[in-house]
Amino acid sequence: MIRIRAVLFALAALLLAAGCRVNRPPNDHAATQTLYDSMSSDPGTFNPLLVTDSASNAAIGDLFESLVRINPQTLLPEPGLAASWALGDGGKTITFHLRHGVVWSDGVPFTSRDVIFTMRTIYDPKVPNSTVSSMLIDGQPIAFAAPDDYTVVMRLPRPFAPLFYSVGFPIIPAHILEPDVASGAFIHTWGIDTPPGKLIADGAYLMTRYVPAQQLAYRRNPAYWMRDGSGGELPRLRGQVRLIVPDQNAQYLRFMVGITDVYSPRPEEVNGLRENAARLHITVKDVGIDTGSLFFVFNRNPRHYVAGTVTNPKYKWFTDPNFMRALAHSIDKQGIINLCFRGLAVPAISDTSPENKIFYNPNLTPYDYDLNRAARILDEAGYRMLRPGVRGDPDGHPLIFSLTTNTGVPVRDQMCAIFKQDLATLGIQVNYRPLEFISLVKALESSFDWDCVLIGFGGTIEPNDASNFLRSSGNLHVWNPSQSKPATPWEAEIDSLMDQGTTVMDERQRAPFYWRIQQILHDELPIIETVRQAEYIAYRNTIVGYNPTVWGLYKPEWMEFRAQ
Amino acid sequence: MSALPRPSLTPAFESARRGDRSRVGQLASAARREWRVAPFTARVSVLCLLIFYLFAAASPLIAPYDPTHQYRNLPDCPPMRPHLSAPADWPHGMLFAYPMKMDDALARHFVEDRSRKIWLRFFHRGHFLTTESPDDPCFILGSEGLGRDLFSRIVYGARVSMCIGLVGVLISFSLGISVGAFSGLVGGRIDNLIMRWCEIEMSLPSFYFLLALAAVIPSGMSTVATFFMIVAIMSFIGWAGFARVIRGMAASLRSAPYVEAARALGGSRTRLLMRHVIPAVLGFAAVNASLSIPGYILGESALSLLGLGIQEPASSWGNLLAQAMDPQNIEHYPWVLIPGVFISVAVMAFNFLGDHLRDRLDPANFN
Repeated sequence: MIRIRAVLFALAALLLAAGCRVNRPPNDHAATQTLYDSMSSDPGTFNPLLVTDSASNAAIGDLFESLVRINPQTLLPEPGLAASWALGDGGKTITFHLRHGVVWSDGVPFTSRDVIFTMRTIYDPKVPNSTVSSMLIDGQPIAFAAPDDYTVVMRLPRPFAPLFYSVGFPIIPAHILEPDVASGAFIHTWGIDTPPGKLIADGAYLMTRYVPAQQLAYRRNPAYWMRDGSGGELPRLRGQVRLIVPDQNAQYLRFMVGITDVYSPRPEEVNGLRENAARLHITVKDVGIDTGSLFFVFNRNPRHYVAGTVTNPKYKWFTDPNFMRALAHSIDKQGIINLCFRGLAVPAISDTSPENKIFYNPNLTPYDYDLNRAARILDEAGYRMLRPGVRGDPDGHPLIFSLTTNTGVPVRDQMCAIFKQDLATLGIQVNYRPLEFISLVKALESSFDWDCVLIGFGGTIEPNDASNFLRSSGNLHVWNPSQSKPATPWEAEIDSLMDQGTTVMDERQRAPFYWRIQQILHDELPIIETVRQAEYIAYRNTIVGYNPTVWGLYKPEWMEFRAQ
Repeated sequence: MSALPRPSLTPAFESARRGDRSRVGQLASAARREWRVAPFTARVSVLCLLIFYLFAAASPLIAPYDPTHQYRNLPDCPPMRPHLSAPADWPHGMLFAYPMKMDDALARHFVEDRSRKIWLRFFHRGHFLTTESPDDPCFILGSEGLGRDLFSRIVYGARVSMCIGLVGVLISFSLGISVGAFSGLVGGRIDNLIMRWCEIEMSLPSFYFLLALAAVIPSGMSTVATFFMIVAIMSFIGWAGFARVIRGMAASLRSAPYVEAARALGGSRTRLLMRHVIPAVLGFAAVNASLSIPGYILGESALSLLGLGIQEPASSWGNLLAQAMDPQNIEHYPWVLIPGVFISVAVMAFNFLGDHLRDRLDPANFN
């Protein structure tokens, strides 16, 4: 009996503790004009030319400027470090007039020498970087020269429409980094162990502190070139802090209690934030539709499935248009939207997001969710039921394959569970095994040991920037990467459309090439699109001038805390 | 050094063991007597455990629905209350529930549709109690994020969560008893060696060791294989401490008069071990087993909660509780905590039962 009393007492103590409220002191973010944000992982590098991951990009994105910047509202190029430019020679010569009076954070002026140095480094075969692929035109580099300190001339082998998107690379300081490139040490330069004070930059902010697994802190660059209409200094914020919080729940709680000022909620959090917006003094803003694409991709790589004269039957299934069509009809997009995204998503039809107003093909016919139709397609193509619950291919092999995605994303686990359940109804057995992100990347890029993967890719405004994914030679051409020559006629057609699409300068005339590519992917189904999430951002009402878009912040230099 | 007495429950068990009278009748009357002397907590514990093991043994019968079927229009549906119908409706069914409808997908808000009744039937479609049609489910404990019936998943989850303790204890105790008793009886350098090895194993930080071992389980393995891997890992961690205690008891028994007598009569070492030493420590082992089962249940729950144990779509009480890791879910769908209640009840039941067994088998309490 004493024991029961002890248990009851413990329960009562727990209830009491749960009822307690903690009053936090109001934060000083507005008084110090410091914006607090959170990010999920530590950066991998501070070297702007070697960045491959989004965390590094977020960490140094505000530190370095480029010649032109893309306006996230108009999606058009705007002057950056180049104050103006002129096209000549039928579009084959571009002359950039650089901005005067820009200085690096150590006081050395920015000149054409920095631009020439950066381009030379990008084309340096000893410096592996992802920028170079979008700066080759038919395999040729761009020729460049600097007639004086404030002029850069680029000569192209032929007119190249995506040029202004390709020259959005960050400019690095020649006077600091030249010795490293000369000595071959550049790939180790500006790693995350570099003291932030040694990162010589010219952007709106300078890094002041990096504590691994804790936070990144920035202060305003007092010498930043941009001024507002009345000559006032920009950016208006005096500093920024990005807390590194790997757990999404923890990020959410930090926003709720006022430790951070902005937060991108998951769909299940949107409703709660909206309902409590007045109490929390926050705004929940509908930003738009995800610009990327989230799809199931099936391995079509003969290097994995064909060994000598033996072909794995899976290779035949995944290259069979009927099989893929049946699978496309068995994705319950509406179910996924309701179960995984709380209705805050739209079915994805094309690999290009409708947010890409210029290049999105609106004329594709969606594959409706219809398991009876999928079963009929499979039956007619010879994939018959071997016994109840087990379907086989025309040669009698039971249909079994593995499904992978990266661990730790509950939404993806759920999407895979839904897909698995529907395929089980059709008699197809799916073995679901999530992998760590690193292992998954390794399987996709080098070991090719996978059957079906659910994976998401970020979107690009300029379709040529997706060359890595669309071209048969690309290393992110996931279903059969880095081909020496196109394996199928339709992949050859995509390659040639990618070439043709860059020769026409007018965007309205360019679009049809990319529409055709979307049509081909939609018909041949190397990837099966799922859904696109509707994105939201929640931020404190004390922040003014905060304009998030799906393509990034619009005029980020203008945002500030309202004077209280 | 006095010999430890042979363990004994009521004399009826003893006589049943000797096979004096009809065994079944003896056992039944012994059980009745034990039940009468058992305190309230022990009785409730036994009842709870019987129910949980019934869940495990007869899951397809007791679970009202297929535990993997996704009712995609009813995700995170709150528990539905069965109502007693008016006597005039009894030909339809004695119990009914009102169907739920999601009126707001974003807030995941449900309303009861009072215009329609779904009838509950006993022994229908091969289930103990289920709705007339599987398309109109009645979730008595609510549903989880993919619209699967939480109660059915808990019933199937009992197979993993309730059996892991039994199997684990069976492995680690047979290992612990045989190694410990042998070591204590033999003594000397072998004893020393075995005991130092046990100490090394005991000094490993067990939960982190468990995490590390679970992380290397290949992810493509079937649920059954994963289950046995987890049991093996946990038993491997659990047997050493137990072996040390048994070894101590065996070492003191070595010089007990009846063991000495058996040795003097020329009993072999195996005979001494099997006939005299191991039976003498069994009582202690029984108590210890019931007290260490909760450790296995909690260990499996912790691993599955962290995604290293039983994988979806199979269920265990631990991986069902994983949904409660999100504070939002606890706030809006408090029924995701129900699997945790089952874990707590099972753990407490084993503890109360173990306490009671210890009291019953304590020589000081024999009259």
